[in-house]
Amino acid sequence: MSGIVIAVVVLTVLALVFGVLLGFAAEKFKVEGNPLTDQVEALLPQTQCGQCGYPGCRPYAEAIAGGDKINKCPPGGTATMEKLADLMGVDPEPLNATEEVQVKKVAYIREDECIGCTKCIQACPVDAILGSGKLMHTVITDYCTGCDLCVAPCPVDCIDMIPVEQTTKTWDWQLNAIPVKQLQEDKPC
Amino acid sequence: MLTLLEQIDKGTLWRSHGGVHPPELKNLSNKTTIRQIPLANQYVLPLPQVGDSALLAVKVNDRVLKGQALTSGTSFAYSPVHSPTSGIITAIKAMPSNHASGIEVLSCVIQADGLDEAKTVEPSDIETLSNQDILKKIQQAGIAGLGGAAFPTHIKLSPASDIELVIINGIECEPYITSDDRLMREHSDEILSGIAIIQRLLSPKRIIIAIEDNKPEAIDAMQHALNRSQLASGSTRITAVPTKYPSGGEKQLIQILTGQEVPSGAIPAQLGMLVQNVGTAYAINDAVINGYALTNRVVTVTGLNSQTPGNYWVPIGTPVKHILDSLGFSGDFSSDKIIIGGPMMGHSLPDLAAPVLKGTNCILLPSKEEIADDVTEKPCIRCGECAVACPALLLPQQLFWHSKAEEYDKAASFNLHDCIECGCCSYVCPSDIPLVEYYRIAKSAIRSQTEEKKQADFAKQRFEARLQRLEEEKLAREAKAKEAAERRKGTMAASDKNAVAEAMARIKAKKAAEQASENEAAEPQLDKKAQIAAAIARAKAKKEASASNSSESTTSVTIDDKKAQIAAAIARAKAKKSSTPAADVSVNSSQDPQALDKKAQVAAAVARAKAKKAAANTATAQPSELSVELQTDTETTVDTPVNDKQAKIAATVARAKAKKAAANSAVAQPSELLVELKTDTETTVDTPVNDKQAKIAAAVARAKAKKAAANSAVAQPSEQSVELETDTETTVNTPVNDKQARIAAAVARAKAKKATAKLADETTDVVQNTNESLAEASISDNGALSGLDDKPYAPTEPVSPSQEGEVKQQEPASTMTAEQQKKARIAATIAKAKAKKAQAKLQEKE
Repeated sequence: MSGIVIAVVVLTVLALVFGVLLGFAAEKFKVEGNPLTDQVEALLPQTQCGQCGYPGCRPYAEAIAGGDKINKCPPGGTATMEKLADLMGVDPEPLNATEEVQVKKVAYIREDECIGCTKCIQACPVDAILGSGKLMHTVITDYCTGCDLCVAPCPVDCIDMIPVEQTTKTWDWQLNAIPVKQLQEDKPC
Repeated sequence: MLTLLEQIDKGTLWRSHGGVHPPELKNLSNKTTIRQIPLANQYVLPLPQVGDSALLAVKVNDRVLKGQALTSGTSFAYSPVHSPTSGIITAIKAMPSNHASGIEVLSCVIQADGLDEAKTVEPSDIETLSNQDILKKIQQAGIAGLGGAAFPTHIKLSPASDIELVIINGIECEPYITSDDRLMREHSDEILSGIAIIQRLLSPKRIIIAIEDNKPEAIDAMQHALNRSQLASGSTRITAVPTKYPSGGEKQLIQILTGQEVPSGAIPAQLGMLVQNVGTAYAINDAVINGYALTNRVVTVTGLNSQTPGNYWVPIGTPVKHILDSLGFSGDFSSDKIIIGGPMMGHSLPDLAAPVLKGTNCILLPSKEEIADDVTEKPCIRCGECAVACPALLLPQQLFWHSKAEEYDKAASFNLHDCIECGCCSYVCPSDIPLVEYYRIAKSAIRSQTEEKKQADFAKQRFEARLQRLEEEKLAREAKAKEAAERRKGTMAASDKNAVAEAMARIKAKKAAEQASENEAAEPQLDKKAQIAAAIARAKAKKEASASNSSESTTSVTIDDKKAQIAAAIARAKAKKSSTPAADVSVNSSQDPQALDKKAQVAAAVARAKAKKAAANTATAQPSELSVELQTDTETTVDTPVNDKQAKIAATVARAKAKKAAANSAVAQPSELLVELKTDTETTVDTPVNDKQAKIAAAVARAKAKKAAANSAVAQPSEQSVELETDTETTVNTPVNDKQARIAAAVARAKAKKATAKLADETTDVVQNTNESLAEASISDNGALSGLDDKPYAPTEPVSPSQEGEVKQQEPASTMTAEQQKKARIAATIAKAKAKKAQAKLQEKE
């Protein structure tokens, strides 16, 4: 009889102790926001283009973490979509965009046509356009994410999206190998 | 246990992992001395070589000399590009690069003039130069690693940590290439001189000149040169290294010579070691001792397709095509490959216009027999040969597996970045898999992914910074708006208070002025008071008269000539007004440019305005009686010499009020209207009055006048009783000038004209039928003009409208002839007016 009482008491005390511990841990190690959002966001290309229908990559990451579709990111392309599918544990879906928009582009302002209206500057999500009122604008190419958002506001249509040119540094080495035939040393050359 | 240095001194060698023994085929090109090749017509120098922070120092059509720098730069990593010969720069444009891709890069095209004129250089004494000077000379000479990587030498020679061991790399392990071999054989002394400079810069404990044992002549030559040189034999030694590919690789050579492995991602300098090519040592000597820039290098041209295989001094920037043309190329340009570098690590050249660079040590022209046909890749059989051959201790088949599947992150986890792309795995692969190609593709993909990731992070950073900025701007804007609103509120309250205070002050001032005028104005203004009284009396009399329908006007005051004149003028003006509606009224009353006249004018203007009003009222009010009581009390307290302006102002104000009253009365049609207008106008002018104020007042008055006229013309009132009390207090402390007075007068006149014209236009018929017209204007003029000897007057003229303009318009108001004449004329005018009135009455009666 006393054994039962002891067991009940011990278990109750244990339950209380662990309850307090858990409660403390829940407060002490509280995680702000959904950690999945950060993981999703890390996969997104951060062009901030809004083609997914959300105002930036972070909101889309939150939406994906909340169960939205993973195929709404054309700048990320199929690779990003597949990574997202992997992370979220869902089936890959075809992108809701054509292939041609996946070419990396940067904005280019035809500077002699620019009237200095600053509309593109206001549209640029990453502050990659330099200029001031009634002064010529130009794109800081290194900062441009190719999001396309500056093209529509331009009243004189002087912004082009130009595909990024390949340089010797960014070349992908897709070439045929140079096979070297094994010759015998003793053979006269 | 021996220390490392003791083991090095003993000549101990360690075994490096992997490696292959491909056929060397070096005897093809190492039998002849290094020769010169003929000058090319055109040289192409890619501008951004290693170290991109450079500025172009020349422009198109500049003539450059051999050894002249084409770029300038100040950064530490900057390495200049020099002209290899003398000539004219014909273009600076994108030209095909000496790269596996053949992508065009910005290049300087120099048209050689054939003179090969060199920039004058001064040989310098190494003893007098400081280490910094030497490094600067090396940098200015544009010396880069001539072994193939072309890394700027001056960076390598100024390491952050101490260098204990310098290795001079004379291994040249790749098949076919013999440029270092020939250089060591022919220029060993210069190389050792360069090594001495390196030793001076770094002061290492040991220097090892490592040469593969397949180059015994080179080893001999270097040994002799070392014995001849001043380098301490204890610290410098020549080590023969067994022939194996790729023992010439930096990390592999360190492994062989010291047994130490350079950690992944580290550089040899972190182990206190430094590796330099023999060719670089030669170039350092040339630059520091002789002062020559690096403008040419030894290039091995070999292969069975080469007609004259051997080593050549080739100016850097020489197009490969020129070399082939001048040395003889027996192959077919379209089908035979031209390989830059050795067969193991080199790449085929897509465009023959590409130039020789600092790192180009070999142009390989293999025949079809030498290189295999493009064999088809067979599946990997997992034999593991590649893992055995790999000098970097990697697992090539795993790397291949993941690279082929494009699982680049997994390939990276197998340390793909440690692959030196030596090609050993491809060489040994029984399935003919071009493993290195897969690795290169995977590496570039990983590189671009990393770059993208970096850019994405940067974009995210900028995006977040922008959002924060916008948020801050918004908050700042709101705060500013709030602040502005509060400020506005504050100032508004203050101004309200001010206004109240001002009003109070004005009331007080007014009271005081009233008292003062009552008390003080007694003595000097007795006359005036009398006049005022008289005027009032007159006005009353008139009223009575008009009330009893009498059209006669009684002038019950006897005045002096002037007054008479003025009165006459006024009368005339009124008459004109009422009688000649559209005519030009030019009352020329300012013949006498005295102040008196002016005042008179002012008064006249006031009177006219009132008269107009009355006329308007009467004209419009057809059927009934109109009684306008206009009481204008103008209190003028003048403490200083008074002037016309104040008078004017007062007059203007009075006029305005009168007009308003008239307008009001005119609008009220059917019933009896009693308008009591009490207007207290206080004009307190403490400062010298200027024209502007007067003008403004005039403008205001004009506007009102117009309005009133319009109103009155439209309205048809029956009985109207307008009581207009205008108290005008003008306290003026400053003197004014004549001009303003004149202007005011003119303005008043103009207004009067306008108003009458309007009235007349619309009410011509009405006027005829008007029985009675009563205009009562009692003006107590501001006669208390102490400074001037003017006299107050109160012209009151009942006006009987008449269409016949008998009154002469051009008649001057005041003539300067005899007073009697004037009087007579005045009398005549008055008589005429009366006559007209009477006529009108008669007509009506009839």
